[in-house]
Amino acid sequence: MTMANITINGQKISTKAGITVLQAAREAGIDIPTLCDHPALSAVGACRMCIVEIKGQRALQTSCTFPVTEGMEIQTDSKMVTDARKLVLDMIFSERNHFCPYCEMSGSCELQDLGYRYRVDHWVFSTYTKAFPLDATHKYYLMEHNRCVLCGRCIRACDELVANHTLGLGQRGSESMVRADANILLGESSCISCGTCTQVCPTGALFYKRSAFMGKDSLTTKVKSTCNQCGIGCGTEVVTRGGNVLGILGDWDAPVNKGLLCKMGRFEPLYDSRRRLTAPLLRTKGKLKEISWEEAIQTLAKQINTVKASEIGVLSGSYSSNEALYLIKKLFNEKLQVSNIGLTNAVAPRIFDKGQSKLEDITKSDIILVAGSDPLNDQPVASFIIKRAVDKGARLIVVDDKINGLAPFAFMNVDMAGISKAVEVTKRANNPFILYGAGITKTAIAELKKLKDKANYIIVESGVNTVAAAALGLNNGYNPAGLKLLYVLMGEQNYEGADLFKGVPKNAFIVVQASYLSPLTEWADLVLPAAIWSEQNSNLTNIEGRIQKINKAVEPAGEAKPDWEALQLLSAELGKNIAVSIDKVSAEVMKSLK
Amino acid sequence: MAKVRIATDWLAGCAGCHMSLLDIDERIVKLSELVEFTSSPITDLKHPPKEGVTVGILEGAICNTHNIEVAKQMRERCDILIAVGDCATFGGIPAMRNLVGTDAALKRAYIETESTVDGVIPDSDELGKPLDMVVGVDKVVKVDLFIPGCPPRADAFYYALTELLAGRTPVILPPELFTYD
Repeated sequence: MTMANITINGQKISTKAGITVLQAAREAGIDIPTLCDHPALSAVGACRMCIVEIKGQRALQTSCTFPVTEGMEIQTDSKMVTDARKLVLDMIFSERNHFCPYCEMSGSCELQDLGYRYRVDHWVFSTYTKAFPLDATHKYYLMEHNRCVLCGRCIRACDELVANHTLGLGQRGSESMVRADANILLGESSCISCGTCTQVCPTGALFYKRSAFMGKDSLTTKVKSTCNQCGIGCGTEVVTRGGNVLGILGDWDAPVNKGLLCKMGRFEPLYDSRRRLTAPLLRTKGKLKEISWEEAIQTLAKQINTVKASEIGVLSGSYSSNEALYLIKKLFNEKLQVSNIGLTNAVAPRIFDKGQSKLEDITKSDIILVAGSDPLNDQPVASFIIKRAVDKGARLIVVDDKINGLAPFAFMNVDMAGISKAVEVTKRANNPFILYGAGITKTAIAELKKLKDKANYIIVESGVNTVAAAALGLNNGYNPAGLKLLYVLMGEQNYEGADLFKGVPKNAFIVVQASYLSPLTEWADLVLPAAIWSEQNSNLTNIEGRIQKINKAVEPAGEAKPDWEALQLLSAELGKNIAVSIDKVSAEVMKSLK
Repeated sequence: MAKVRIATDWLAGCAGCHMSLLDIDERIVKLSELVEFTSSPITDLKHPPKEGVTVGILEGAICNTHNIEVAKQMRERCDILIAVGDCATFGGIPAMRNLVGTDAALKRAYIETESTVDGVIPDSDELGKPLDMVVGVDKVVKVDLFIPGCPPRADAFYYALTELLAGRTPVILPPELFTYD
């Protein structure tokens, strides 16, 4: 690595040659104000806030784009620099409506922070007059062009991070505007509602509708957690105020998603209109009636004690936490000797002996083969990574018998029967990457095996915590015939229709542990209300095998309890005390999942 | 020592800044040992005395010809002019009118409002004429100190006045008192 010796404000610094002046200054703890700069995005030098004086340069230079070279002498806070920054700021403030009192983002606005820092206490130039449109057509967020400073962060996020290319810049000069597609409304555009643009916007130009005017940033609490909408396990920050969830942000520090989220993770949990279950329910004289947890657990224990182990069945949805799945295994399988345990979703087969790669490795590959899974619709954040790689020149091959969301981005689309063609092409790649899911056929498995020496791979399991369920062996041997008691661990999963109970004898006692009222709970004899993603401490295992924490942000609705807690109450009632605390259960889970 | 004389007035504002000035609470007693509040919208004397005052305080934006007259008179009769609040410093809420235009705003307010029947836009020689543009006070007279805020914190008023009384200029508001909302 070549080093460069530079001087910033008289301070001698040795730094890597070729990094930008801004990076060098930050590494040395020297603060340079920025507006269009964002750590996750490329530097474009749009706002001119980061200008510095560099000896020998004709004019002030944007430090975010200027590389350091040996002997460079830089002034970041000279009068010339601060005067110029003030001028830049006065000009930004002179266009559009940057008036704080009626802006949603006041208090967490980077432009406001700069106004305070440089003491903008009146408009030096003319007062704003031109009105720009407010685009409220999007379901989840507002685009208020009057607050826009044209920093282009949203455009870069849409291009560089999500690779969706919906946003762009239209017109010239003071008429410039961020536009969706060919200048159409955001709500009618190719936007996939991932919301990344709202998260990078430095001002109040893009913000969530749901949480608008429900509390400034300083009044809210942020809890780091993990998204449980699919198997990717994106890191989130849950924003709460007064016991209510206001919004969900992507966690920039999270290793899996690095700040990104999709519609499923960022918005849909907040727009869930299903009715919550808030108390245990027991069927008495044909109708479900509210009972206490004590009564519910006692009733369940009594029922379990009256039947033989061979007459008990357990069905688990993959929404359940590591802890709950572990307790199912421990209590039903190991202690009660129940072997009739199944998972509601299919598990993909193992094909390769070597270990899985990480999602981020996709970007290093030259050919990406996706078989029997549809990440664009089912694991959108994984599709962002794939599309990003495609943008950089990687070739995408989609193998699927169904319509696949990634098909339009692929250079080759074949069905399962034609997979040999795809494998032939993949063989020729230097660094191929395979993503496959449970939709893969026997022929396809045999074909993919041919790539075992070369390819990196990830199994894109459907559902949420399928990896943990499969690792604990909960996916084999369920048979509804002859059951007298069926325990269904459903969690937040949406299960319409009653085909789940196909073959279950009519007189069997059905226990459903779920968060929402559904046809499933209508079938049950005993319903246990489960806490949802925001209401519990637990862990999930993602498709890479990472164990990640869900942290409680708000109290559970009504009497609802985390899935694992209910199972622990049951094990205690049955005299099979398994573990005493979440930490202890978690520790055991970690051991058994390794 | 003679008391320092202060005059205040409001333009296109909501009186909120004056309320915030009164929010300095009991400190106003201490302050009035050192200063004399002459004219203000909330005292009997409405115009700054001809012989002049040391400090003039203006709240509100410039939105009509009357506002210009009041601002000019205050400027002529004071040594130090302070623009207080977001309307006087930036144009504030009244400046939202600029986005639709004065004619459209008047028409909407006096004629098209859902609750109005046979409305007319007031037009009298006694009234100031609305301007095409709503602007901050500094666009018509020279301003010596800006205290933004909606309203400025009571502590900001107190801080600025005590600094001036101590002869410390220019007044630099501490960060916690420099706010836009």
